[in-house]
Amino acid sequence: MPNKITHAEVRMYRMGTGDCFAIKFFAGKGEANVKFKMMIDCGVWTGSKARLQPFIEDLKTYVNNEVDLLVVTHEHIDHVLGFERCSDLFTNDFDVKKIWMGWSEDDSLSKVSNWKTEHGQKKLALARAAERLKNSIQAGLENRLATEHKGNSIFNAKKGFSDSLNGFADLHIQSLNGVYVGLLEGMRVVKKEIANNNIEYKYPGEIVEDIDGLDGVKIYVLGPPEKWNIVETEGGGEGESYTHNTTLKEMDAFAASILSSAAGGNTATSPFDDHYSDLSTSQASGYTKEDWRTIDDDWLYSAGGLALRINSLTNNLSLALAIEFTDNKRVMLFPGDAEYGSWSSWHKINWSETPADSTKHLTEEILNKTVFYKVAHHMSHNGTAQRLGLNMMKHKDLVAMATLDYDNIGDKWSNTMPNHELIDELLTKTKGRLIIMKEDKIFYDFDNTEPLANKIIESRKKMTAAQKTAFDKAFEADPDGRWFQYTVRA
Amino acid sequence: MINKQSATNTAVHGPAFRKLRGYAFDPSLSLNTDTFFINNITYKVPWEDELQTGPVGEYVEVIDYDPTIEKYYTPVDLDAEYLLAEDGLDPDENNPQFHQQMVYAVAMTTIKNFENALGRLVQWSPRRLADRKEFEKYVRKLRIYPHALRDANAYYSPQKKALLFGYFASNPAKNTLHMPGSFVYTCLSHDIIAHETTHAILDGMYPHYSEPTNADVLAFHEAFADIVALFQHFTFPEVLKHQIAKTRGDLASQNLLGELAQEFGSAIGNYGSLRSALGKKDPITKKWVPNEPTGEEYATIMEPHNRGSILVSAVFDAFLTIYKNRVSDLLRLATNGTGVLPAGDLHPDLVNRLANEASKSASHVLNMCIRALDYCPPVDITFGDYLRAIITADTDIVVDDDRNYRVAFIEAFRRRGMYPHGIKTLSMSSLGFQKNRLSHGIAELFGSITAQLRNYSNNVIYEKDREEIYKQTKAFIAKSEFEDMTPGGLHSSFMASFDNSIEFEQLTGLVFNSDWSYYGVRTSKSYKDKALGPSFRIQDLRLVSRVGPENKQINQIVFSIIQRSGVIINKGKFAGHFIPPDDPVEYEKGKFDFYGGCTLIFDLDSLELKYAISKPLLDIAKLKEAMKSQIPTQIKEIRKIDTARAEAQYRYQHEEAPMHLSEYTQYFSGGMANFLNEPFSFLHQH
Repeated sequence: MPNKITHAEVRMYRMGTGDCFAIKFFAGKGEANVKFKMMIDCGVWTGSKARLQPFIEDLKTYVNNEVDLLVVTHEHIDHVLGFERCSDLFTNDFDVKKIWMGWSEDDSLSKVSNWKTEHGQKKLALARAAERLKNSIQAGLENRLATEHKGNSIFNAKKGFSDSLNGFADLHIQSLNGVYVGLLEGMRVVKKEIANNNIEYKYPGEIVEDIDGLDGVKIYVLGPPEKWNIVETEGGGEGESYTHNTTLKEMDAFAASILSSAAGGNTATSPFDDHYSDLSTSQASGYTKEDWRTIDDDWLYSAGGLALRINSLTNNLSLALAIEFTDNKRVMLFPGDAEYGSWSSWHKINWSETPADSTKHLTEEILNKTVFYKVAHHMSHNGTAQRLGLNMMKHKDLVAMATLDYDNIGDKWSNTMPNHELIDELLTKTKGRLIIMKEDKIFYDFDNTEPLANKIIESRKKMTAAQKTAFDKAFEADPDGRWFQYTVRA
Repeated sequence: MINKQSATNTAVHGPAFRKLRGYAFDPSLSLNTDTFFINNITYKVPWEDELQTGPVGEYVEVIDYDPTIEKYYTPVDLDAEYLLAEDGLDPDENNPQFHQQMVYAVAMTTIKNFENALGRLVQWSPRRLADRKEFEKYVRKLRIYPHALRDANAYYSPQKKALLFGYFASNPAKNTLHMPGSFVYTCLSHDIIAHETTHAILDGMYPHYSEPTNADVLAFHEAFADIVALFQHFTFPEVLKHQIAKTRGDLASQNLLGELAQEFGSAIGNYGSLRSALGKKDPITKKWVPNEPTGEEYATIMEPHNRGSILVSAVFDAFLTIYKNRVSDLLRLATNGTGVLPAGDLHPDLVNRLANEASKSASHVLNMCIRALDYCPPVDITFGDYLRAIITADTDIVVDDDRNYRVAFIEAFRRRGMYPHGIKTLSMSSLGFQKNRLSHGIAELFGSITAQLRNYSNNVIYEKDREEIYKQTKAFIAKSEFEDMTPGGLHSSFMASFDNSIEFEQLTGLVFNSDWSYYGVRTSKSYKDKALGPSFRIQDLRLVSRVGPENKQINQIVFSIIQRSGVIINKGKFAGHFIPPDDPVEYEKGKFDFYGGCTLIFDLDSLELKYAISKPLLDIAKLKEAMKSQIPTQIKEIRKIDTARAEAQYRYQHEEAPMHLSEYTQYFSGGMANFLNEPFSFLHQH
């Protein structure tokens, strides 16, 4: 009986913006020839247990209550919420033989635990600032602005800021009744309840072969990068992706102040010696005499920068995997939500293998041969590097899957997702073989007149008849709408 | 407090200047032996008799409250005897009172530069109120909070009429300049303070410039603020002397100044980022080389920050050309015409002369750039409009351009692909705004308006109190200058004079006919005798008196009229009008506020309208045609909205801008159509 893997079914669960994938590897046709079952993440922006349960149950049935490998890419709610909401479904009658996470999840390493403490403080500061801003906006800001010209619009803009900031806080921080309790519950469930001394922490440059059941398949570990300074790189400058002008380190003073005032005191380091402080009331009356000019809460808006830095950093900690069918080198790329800093680091990995074309770096060849791409970070601009990413994906069979759903997404995330240039690139490169979790309400143009769905249909006309037949055959949709599935040939 | 009139010195007048020590750059350069000498300079700011502790003076009030730790710092008293004797406090990062002194010194220096160039007193933008009767309130003092944020940012708040400066833990990437973990204060950087003060002054003249109606508007605000900061720096000759003396290199090449310009901005945060367009250090030779413009910049670079840098580099390019011209004779003298300098140190006289020429060129360029503001349209500015403003303003006051300043500007803009919209050739005469040829009838109407303006000018010309000037101006316009308000004044005369005048509409591009509602313009009840008419606003009426280098004197009245029209766009095309409410919370899709405006410049000596610089609501070409063919005024057939401009604004705000916005703006702003929550904070965050 042949054991070599012939194809893989990639099933994207459509729970809402967020990743949940099940992949079955076959050596020949039919369920009897399933050789390996893999699951990547289980998250969504929001969802109750009741709503998520049918999806998870479907997944369990699909993999027959057992996976050989569970990959958890990174600690964001849209990648782990399912483990939290439906923890009992994962801890009962479900067998996980092995778990992979990025090396930055290995709490036994002191550099990881030290960093996590420090980083945890920043996340906490983000949550506190978001909370304070929300309170400040609820505490009569609307009335105060009512006397100002265009006060309504200003209030709306400020409230929008606060909503978006609170969305970022929720993405990162577990709170119970408003109290921060530590790492995301979904992550805890995986580490403490699902895992059974079977977590492996992966480093970039690792090439995993000889996996039981995965004959003819190799897995390349691309990210997370091994150096913090690379993890902290979000943008690559002109022609690469966005650039930013502040660093997380520069938010230290902000975090210190937020945390100490939340703890009830104002013990945050004052930049000046005490004798410069003015305890008289004369200054105070000068400050408050025109109350419309006071600035008590304006500094809280700096948390926006903090939120973006923390968000990108966590995205860059994504475990990024390239799954290669060794015979023809076709690749399935699962980058998690890796951003530019991670993508660029892949090109500096000191691989133990040399590519067939020795003028290239192996990473470039991996990207050249990519035939299936799970679009990173729900099609945001930063999620896919241009020069060092998409431009190198040149395979004629390229198919992309994106986990974007406008019915279940954070405030204002739809401003960056999808990125319109990225959509254009993907549509061209895949000839419309771009599978989006939910196309409803997503438009191709900014004027919201041309639905993306139409544009995809139009782009698909560029496929040859053979390509079209092959694609239609490989693509499958659950009649109940729970998943989309695409079969990748080896 | 000092005794200002001591018994023995009764005849002594107050001093002209208050000298205050401060950093020329920012504190980090004081730790570097190369730059230590030049970093501490003495600012000479206009003496204020009534300066309170804070400092709180006529123009600014420094309030040192740190909301992040809820602390006040003791305000500095610059009139304290010891401080007067010592030119203020010693530069010291650890003393908040020095921080107060520094922001005061630089803000006042910037204000003084504007007043010198503009020929009038600086006014802050008034506080707009929701109440339409009261409309707005005068703001005498700009507030300055030196320690307002814990962030690598500083910004001008148009809502609070305040500058907020941040401080932050230094980034270890710059270990060589800053001790890691120590605080960096944006309020100690000359460039940042000058930059933010400029935002505030510009907002006082053109509040609509913080509304992103095309790709240039925000970029202009940012670039202009940077231009002022940059050239203000170059006006300090002591800074330049040291650098020129130190450099034994090629003096003829202007690289030294380019490199300096970049260094000025590089020390703290992002403020130098606009200047990265000037050039860069060659990684191999370690020599600074200027970037050669490709001519594609203006057409391709859209992100406001990067786009602003095109304008900065164009103006800097013009400056270098001017400087080069001015020192070419000196260099011939110094090298005996060989172009090669003799070995050894430069002669100190040569150093002084070169530094003075650079400083003089900088001050001329700064003046040209600031003066041009009076010649800008009140809404929707583009870089091309600004070039035209620079050329026109300069032509007005400097008749003989014997040093080719204007050519230098045109050349620099052209090299970056920045062409004004709608001119036929790129010549001096077509670039400058033209004096309007008016028909006899309308000239007469303008004559009566100008006579009123001369009256106004006679009343305010000797008034030195800024609030009094504001009040008299407001009364002259209407006692209230907006729709729904008390009738009378200039506002009413406009409608009375120009009602249904197609020529006036063609001149201003605004709706002055009896069918205003058809064009989506609100109804004003503020006309005389409760007559109804189209709503429009008169903005920033000011008396301008300037003297040029050939003693040419200019006496002008300048003001802008602004009108709003509700426009509906469907599938990218103009689809009709609606009457816009005063403060729409959120418009339905396709609706937006479309502003038109016109800056009118009247010459008080010849009593005529000199220029009308317009961003029209109406299609000017159609109006011109109609005027030529003398068709009787079938209003709706002749007067069409400027659909091209309306569609362009909508396209920019809904399609183009979102492609180029920073991630920060996309996640946290209210969008281009609601850019009201601290626009300048957003501009600096990316």
